[in-house]
Amino acid sequence: MRAKLIAAAVVLSAVAAAPSIAHHGWGSYDASKPVTVAGKILTSKYENPHTTLTVQTAEKVWTVTLAPVSRMQTRGAIAEMVGVGKEISAYGYPSTVEKDEIRAERITVEGKTVEMR
Amino acid sequence: MNEAAPAFLIALEASAVGHAIRQSIWIYPSANVLHVVALALFAGAVTVLDLRLLGAFAGTRPADVIRPARRVAVAALLLLAGTGFVLFVAEASHVAMNPVFQAKGLLIAAGVLNALVVARLPADFDRLDAGSAIPSRLRSAAMVSIAIWLAVAAAGRLIAYV
Repeated sequence: MRAKLIAAAVVLSAVAAAPSIAHHGWGSYDASKPVTVAGKILTSKYENPHTTLTVQTAEKVWTVTLAPVSRMQTRGAIAEMVGVGKEISAYGYPSTVEKDEIRAERITVEGKTVEMR
Repeated sequence: MNEAAPAFLIALEASAVGHAIRQSIWIYPSANVLHVVALALFAGAVTVLDLRLLGAFAGTRPADVIRPARRVAVAALLLLAGTGFVLFVAEASHVAMNPVFQAKGLLIAAGVLNALVVARLPADFDRLDAGSAIPSRLRSAAMVSIAIWLAVAAAGRLIAYV
């Protein structure tokens, strides 16, 4: 019986250990506060598990999280499209954990729009 | 890069291996797919093994069920560890600081420890015939095992949402 109690305690503590640092999934982004980040791409990491950009807007530098590389390519968002220096408009949701980060729902570069989800 | 992480994990993520995993189109998704497939194998084998210890399939000799199930479980666990390492290295500094990942690590340690203890219990299932009662500590260990490994699977998926 004691072993069962210990097991229950372990499971409960695992579940309770939840909130704090974040990454990935759509769970830690606030879809009720969509933002559009428009500006010049400062850095571009075209890699897995997610492509990540930093974008300079008039106010600040945003981190913009995009899709995995294979999905980016399938949808025509090749590395050059989100290369450094390109003007991008990214519609997405702010992270509830990371400051100044959004997960993009869609991006538009040079008139071409690509869905990220 | 999460600067709050221990230096060796920052170095691991920044290493050539970490870089290669992130840069490749197929390495990360392949590891991800294999990790889930290995989990399916592992969960199936562990469930069969633990159900036998809990008294299911009473018409069989326990050892005839447990031995093959354990071989599959061990092989699947090795595949889980290997693919898990690939997924970990890609984002080592971030993932290591994720509380759900930390909980998952502790749960895996607890699960392996539980399995090792069961393997060493003196009232060994080897000597049990079909239909004979399973000693209560083996039954308890089987319940602990199922609870731990289900929690490990849940924690694994939850890493992405915390």
